[in-house]
Amino acid sequence: MILTLALRTLARHRVRTLLAVAGVAVSAAMLLDMVMLSSGMRQSFRALLVEQGFQLRLAPRGTLPFDTEATMADASATVARLRARPEVERVSAVLGSQLHVARPGSAAGEGTVTAFAIGIDPRVQGDYELLDGRDADTAAARADAPVHVVFSDGLLAATGARLGDTVQVAVGHDPQLRAFAGQRRAIVSGRARFRFLAEGQRAAAIALPALQAMRGTDGHDRASVIMVRTRAGADVEALRQWVDRAVPQATAISTELAMRQVDERLSYFRQLAFILGSVSLVVGFLLVTTLVTVSVNERVGEIAVLRAIGVARRRVVWQILLESVAIMIAGAALGLLLGLVTARYLNGILADFPGLPAAIDFFLFQPRAAWTALGLLVAAGVLAGIYPSWRGASLPIARTLRQEAVG
Amino acid sequence: MGEGRDQRVLSRALLLLGALLLASGAPLRSASAQRLDTLTSAPRREIAIDERLATDAGLRIGDLVTVAQEPGGRGDTVRIAALVQRRADPSEIARGEYRVHLHLDQLQQLLRYGDRVDRFAVATRDGAAAAESAMEAINDAAFGFRAHRSRDIAVETSTTFAVVSRFHRAIGVITVVASAIFLLCIMLLKIDERRRDVAALRLMGISARSVMRSVMLEAAFVAAAGSALGVAIGAAASAIVNWYYRGVYRTPLAFALVTADTLVLAVSLSIALGLVAGFVAARRLLRVPPLALFGR
Amino acid sequence: MSERRPEDEAWAATDRDAGPRSARGAGGPPRQHDGEASAPASHHSVAGDIAASPRARDDRAPLVVVRDLARDYPMGAEPVHALRGVSFDIDRGDYCAIVGPSGCGKSTLLNLLGVIDRPSRGTITIAGRESARMRDAEATAFRLHTIGFVFQRFYLMPALTALENVELPMAEAGRGRRERLARARALLDYVGLGARGGHRPAQLSGGEQQRVAIARALANEPALLLADEPTGELDARTGREIIDLFARLNADGTTIVVVTHDEQLARAARRVIHMRDGIVVDDRRADAGPLEHAP
Repeated sequence: MILTLALRTLARHRVRTLLAVAGVAVSAAMLLDMVMLSSGMRQSFRALLVEQGFQLRLAPRGTLPFDTEATMADASATVARLRARPEVERVSAVLGSQLHVARPGSAAGEGTVTAFAIGIDPRVQGDYELLDGRDADTAAARADAPVHVVFSDGLLAATGARLGDTVQVAVGHDPQLRAFAGQRRAIVSGRARFRFLAEGQRAAAIALPALQAMRGTDGHDRASVIMVRTRAGADVEALRQWVDRAVPQATAISTELAMRQVDERLSYFRQLAFILGSVSLVVGFLLVTTLVTVSVNERVGEIAVLRAIGVARRRVVWQILLESVAIMIAGAALGLLLGLVTARYLNGILADFPGLPAAIDFFLFQPRAAWTALGLLVAAGVLAGIYPSWRGASLPIARTLRQEAVG
Repeated sequence: MGEGRDQRVLSRALLLLGALLLASGAPLRSASAQRLDTLTSAPRREIAIDERLATDAGLRIGDLVTVAQEPGGRGDTVRIAALVQRRADPSEIARGEYRVHLHLDQLQQLLRYGDRVDRFAVATRDGAAAAESAMEAINDAAFGFRAHRSRDIAVETSTTFAVVSRFHRAIGVITVVASAIFLLCIMLLKIDERRRDVAALRLMGISARSVMRSVMLEAAFVAAAGSALGVAIGAAASAIVNWYYRGVYRTPLAFALVTADTLVLAVSLSIALGLVAGFVAARRLLRVPPLALFGR
Repeated sequence: MSERRPEDEAWAATDRDAGPRSARGAGGPPRQHDGEASAPASHHSVAGDIAASPRARDDRAPLVVVRDLARDYPMGAEPVHALRGVSFDIDRGDYCAIVGPSGCGKSTLLNLLGVIDRPSRGTITIAGRESARMRDAEATAFRLHTIGFVFQRFYLMPALTALENVELPMAEAGRGRRERLARARALLDYVGLGARGGHRPAQLSGGEQQRVAIARALANEPALLLADEPTGELDARTGREIIDLFARLNADGTTIVVVTHDEQLARAARRVIHMRDGIVVDDRRADAGPLEHAP
């Protein structure tokens, strides 16, 4: 009966109820988005880091992987030492470089496309996923023989190359002399999705020895990052500390450390999320407080009559609270849909960050966090309604009825 | 313009080397805070380091440090001659690297770079026209490099901030839409609450227009008061944000700025929204016959 | 709402002062009134069995005992003495009208009898229970089970239908849905609105709304029915219908106290209590002289 009364009362003031639901929906959407933002980047970045199972990354000392153009010397020795460790399962050394690709059929020096190249060992690499064709070479091959390379879709589009085409690739461009430090022929053998690169970015994967050779002295036995996968149950932190001691030219970064760095760099978004989320909660609270207060003030006569005919105070309070609960639940449900739509839109904006890996989402829907946030909003709404409804239900009956009769 | 002038322009090109290669290429190794030994050491080359590095590494002016290309490699022992305040450069915000300023020749030697630089920065007299002609002259004469206007580079390198701006704008739009709904809801409630007052006024002979004017005045006042409060809160929040993030990122950059434009936009938008909400709510009420408002 | 609360159980167990019996309860022959066609059994099954109730016949104690009742309202420097020490009894089955000029304290008195206000001084005993000092929860339960209140402005819940309005007190008392639906329909039949149960108050006339309000007041078989200006918002003809309804209720055994300015309603009552300036100045039966009040 009380539920019927609550719902019918809401239905009586349709416009007001709809507006209140809309207001709560907007609050809920904003709150949901902020919850998604506060954990989205972190979760999706972590997922990206652990996707291939590499727990440790070595970068030139004092830097983060590919944060600078610095490289580590004696890469092969470092890799060998790491492989000798019993807790290490796999080691992948990667060298990053700018690569200049001449479009197939273009004259020398004309129509080159600049791309980002990684020198890898395809047998152990964790940087790309081959979508089509065959993988890059594992060894350098003879300098006069073409080397098989893998291109990203962006690079294929920019160069107009197709699988099987032979192109000219070069590194170490000297703009003054308009010459390259190293160049050779390459066969575009495969198409890949590069995990850590932005959507549409031009990228290529080439055998590490080939890239090192092309870079000449600048690239000899050097790596930009060395990725390490440990065996199950290995103490990653202990290995990290060993690397820090034993490999002075490198900084070892565990997934946890990388996450901390990410947290620090993206702390702005988390804090923004927290502030806006809190504001949404407060606004939702204020909206419901106002709604319930006005609703109660309008109906003091009705409330007094309910009390006069013998309805207990707590039931009257419960009836009023049911109205705000109904609005909150309807608003939260609508807000969930609205929040997912706006999150997609906002994610689309932030995805334009230059250099952001395509796999990173700023807004990640996690059901548990979402329900917690929406539950918090509903609880806030209920709390907001308690005081005004209790106050309304506690008004002196006779005086209220008299005032209503006179008014 | 002739060759002579071009050469003068070129000759006036200033080489600004601001430690363009990042500190990761020239790591510091503190010589355990050695003080200058005026009696025994030869005059040393001097460097300037940023104040963050000084704070984090416990370095001071006069300390001797070793700069090298590789960690643990041979390098030069130099004296810290100056501390440099970080620029208010948004692109440096989240980056944890330090900046070190060396003389050009020293860095070239350290990195075995030869007589090479990564870029020149050119300041011209006489403003924009001179800059254009200098750019043309340089591009005509240069081998393998190009001149770009600083502002064009700024535009290209500020893509990140363009994205952040768009994001903020989207949040702002959502906030405005949400505020409009809240305002409409609350105005509707508050004006509905006064339905009997409105009915009594109408029955007394007060015209709907007068009632509307009275409600709009009230809505305007509430909106103006709310705007004023909002501006005060926004200014305070902006100050807190700047104080906090300047501390976190150790930068003089201003993160939030309350400008005249934003003030005007915020106040006029909120007053407009308040008036519209009041108008819609009042119009709804005035459409109902007065006796019906009394519940009869 | 279907479960009974502890206080409801207590009331059900000590039901010795119950008012009109429930529809399924006592049975008994339908009663006929002079000049009226015999009413369907359902009418009398609602209110008509009180006279047949052996307990009601035997119990001669007054239903309401008021002693030295006073109510003051603080208004600025000097309090307003709305009631200044009123004493009287009301017997079961009585039909009292309280009349007097505006501000004489009659509505205040009714509010105190209805336990929706508290006296400043004095006692009220209704159906053997002292009501003046009851706490809120106790007073609420008392109102629910023992008092039926009819207001001048009807005060029906606008969001509920007529049937649901009548059901409301029964739902609060924990009666099952089927039971309260049946009784609500019977009550609406009794007041002549059996066909209008599905209508909302806005779809009913003033007289119809007041009849629904009366049916609601009878929902939990109260011992005492109180009415504050029940015809105040009605035209003469509709008011007459309400007056007739009250007369029928009283004839069926309901104890009624009305506060009224309506002379016709006052004349229809069997006892008139005149008040002025917060005191009772006259108290007489329609067919007898002034009543004596207990000291």
